[in-house]
Amino acid sequence: MHALEIVTLSKRYLGKRLKRVDALQDLSLEVRTGEVFGFLGPNGAGKSTTIKTVMGQIKPTAGHASIFGRPATESSSRLRVGYLPENPSFYEFLTGREYLHFVGKTFSLNNSMITEQSEHVLELLELTHAADRPIKGYSKGMVQRLGLAQAMLHDPDLYVLDEPMSGLDPLGRALVKEIIKNLKKQGKTIFFSTHITADIEVVCDRVGIIAKGRLMAVDTVENILQSGVEGYQIQVSRHGHVEELLVAKDRLKEFMAELVTSDAVVERIEPKRKDMEAFFLDIVSKEKHSAQ
Amino acid sequence: MIKKGLFLLLLCSYISLMIPLTAFMKERPVAVKLGYFPEAHALKTVAGDHRYLVAQYAVVKVLFYFGTIVEKAKNMIVVKPEYQNMFKTLQTASKLDPWNADVYYFTQAAFTWELNKIQDVNEMLDYGMKHRTWDYQLPYFAGFNAAYFLKDYGTAAAYMKKAAELSKDQLMTSLASRYLYESGQNEIALQFIEFMQQRTMDRKLINLYEFRKKALIAVISIQKGVNAYVRSRGTPPSRIEDIVAAGFIDRIPEDPYGGTFYLDEKGTVRSTSKFAFGTAPIRWSTE
Amino acid sequence: MGNFHCFYSLTVKALIRDRLVHIFSLVVATVFLLIPVFSMFSMRQVQELSITLCLSAISFILLIFTILSGASSVWRDVEKRYTASILGLPVSRAEFVLGKFSAIAVLIVASAIIMGFVSCLVITLITLRYPADIPVNWLNLFVAVSADALKYVMLLSIALLFSTMSTSFFLPFFASISVYFAGNASQEVFDYVAGEYGTTIPFLSRMIIKCVYYVIPNFAVFNMKVQAIYALPLTPAPIFYAILYFICYTGIMLCLSVWSFNRRELV
Repeated sequence: MHALEIVTLSKRYLGKRLKRVDALQDLSLEVRTGEVFGFLGPNGAGKSTTIKTVMGQIKPTAGHASIFGRPATESSSRLRVGYLPENPSFYEFLTGREYLHFVGKTFSLNNSMITEQSEHVLELLELTHAADRPIKGYSKGMVQRLGLAQAMLHDPDLYVLDEPMSGLDPLGRALVKEIIKNLKKQGKTIFFSTHITADIEVVCDRVGIIAKGRLMAVDTVENILQSGVEGYQIQVSRHGHVEELLVAKDRLKEFMAELVTSDAVVERIEPKRKDMEAFFLDIVSKEKHSAQ
Repeated sequence: MIKKGLFLLLLCSYISLMIPLTAFMKERPVAVKLGYFPEAHALKTVAGDHRYLVAQYAVVKVLFYFGTIVEKAKNMIVVKPEYQNMFKTLQTASKLDPWNADVYYFTQAAFTWELNKIQDVNEMLDYGMKHRTWDYQLPYFAGFNAAYFLKDYGTAAAYMKKAAELSKDQLMTSLASRYLYESGQNEIALQFIEFMQQRTMDRKLINLYEFRKKALIAVISIQKGVNAYVRSRGTPPSRIEDIVAAGFIDRIPEDPYGGTFYLDEKGTVRSTSKFAFGTAPIRWSTE
Repeated sequence: MGNFHCFYSLTVKALIRDRLVHIFSLVVATVFLLIPVFSMFSMRQVQELSITLCLSAISFILLIFTILSGASSVWRDVEKRYTASILGLPVSRAEFVLGKFSAIAVLIVASAIIMGFVSCLVITLITLRYPADIPVNWLNLFVAVSADALKYVMLLSIALLFSTMSTSFFLPFFASISVYFAGNASQEVFDYVAGEYGTTIPFLSRMIIKCVYYVIPNFAVFNMKVQAIYALPLTPAPIFYAILYFICYTGIMLCLSVWSFNRRELV
């Protein structure tokens, strides 16, 4: 049983002038327990539609999703999930602490646990000073952090985060990345969407790339980075003279053998590779070509 | 599943409730109450430029109320009408909108025959005449009232002259001359009611006129009998039964207001109902 | 049903912290302070007029409160995207809708109770100063105010249904107001059509009017004002019918609201 399972999900909207819009087409993926899964795609690719379907807010035209084996259409499936919607907005008339209390109640936590957990997550997300102010007065970044706080309140096993880094300043981004890494250490499963490739490289185990409602690729981050290696930049020092050499991937063995026989010393070897962004752009442009 | 069941259960209960409820609402004991209408200048202040609408609303309210009373009377139910409130409400309406024809028409319709508030009605009509300077109906009403109810033929003739001038209608001119004489008043009244009836579409008012016409026709037929009796016997009859016994009329007609006809000491036909609602000892009905 | 309670207290908080409610309480206070003054306008029936004014004030204020709070409830949470986070919690949409309904309903009843109590004070004061021929029938007054409260809770369920379908203020607001007026007139129109006059209109129109009568609410069922104003006898039958009618109609409206909101896509 996977933490999250999405099976041949399709969603078709009836757009303006009765034009059909396929937001999702035959999307299948699973998120394994304990992994951090990045869901990467350009704006409007269907990331949020997928997540909303998983959270039971949208009914799919075909296919289904389940969380820890429970169908996403049941409200109880969300008991072990911490969910952060995209650009969240919370009841403005409540204070941060009151909102957390409300969230805790819906997870049937008792009062002392709610108080304890609220303190913990507020502190973690640096919101303690604003906890007793109405949400009305929060900045965008504070609301985003409160969103993460309410998702963490009941210590769920699966996190579903829709663009968790958006609206945050660099400090906030660093904080959130740190939190995600810590959650992974605790063995939590995290499924998050983003359109920023750098975020994926830093925290994810696996990544799924979505474009125009179709899942284009799913792989481990490691594989992608590995397959992206085009050659190696090798710094060699020969008789006190340092030089940089670029060696193709298939010539590395040969080069190293040559090197051993010579008196040169290898100072540094760096793989010269396409990064996640290049990989992503590749896939998206391929999709564009195939569409044409 | 449970939800669907609950919904169906509610729907069935609703449908099965609507059958007795509809019947109950149809027969529900409606307490017919006109109630109180606020004073004119208080209303004028509050209503602002909607006061014409408020005036119309007041008239319609009284009209509906009175219509219900007439219908109840038809079904032999005794209701003591709130005549005081009715009149006050209409007065308020006339102050809010002195040009509203309905106010005068209805005041004339409601407060003359059964209630005999002729002086008040004519005062209201005078007030109306100051505003509706082109309207021949108001002096016509007032003239009729003066002649028929008050027997004040001088005043009546003056009103009728005014009505004739305004209308330029032959009928008014001929009526103006006829109002100088007392004889044949009931026939004139019948004509007057026809005039009123032609100027309304409201079923309830038409009902009311039918009531009056029925009563008038009954009175006229008895009066004819009395006149014939006097002509042939030389003495007036002491009771209506005498005329029937003498064969001048077939039977004593029914008073639509529920009273019984009798002759007063002058030999004029009268009824115990005084031709008014809620006065006659009518049998009680549960309806 | 724990979550139901959550939404209930959440909505109560929302309403109590709403500025609209504060303005509203001010209006209520002003209206009831003015009632004794306006009652003096009648020299003949001060007591009756004061009861009339109190009942009308209660009815009017409850109407405004019901329409405003009911018509701006569900869709607003959707439009402000509160639901995106709320419905990501392990709660069902039924709990959300029913929690909202109960909170507003309880506030309607509570304001009816408060205003009823204030009315009693006002009427007592007036009867002390201008004693009337007939004593006030307090039980009837209580029944009239309760029936009114039921009426508005029922209207609320209708407003809520509209607001679960809408994406803006206009549909639920104007639709509930129209339903309110139609519901007030339905009995009169039905009586008219069922009576003598009905024979003159075409069969098809008569059938349509009858069908509409059975579908739209009939607020005449809850009208017991005249008995309160003139202390007329009040039988148990109309009260009994009013309660049954309220339960069935409100229940159906709530089922439809939940159904409609369940079907709604929160894009």
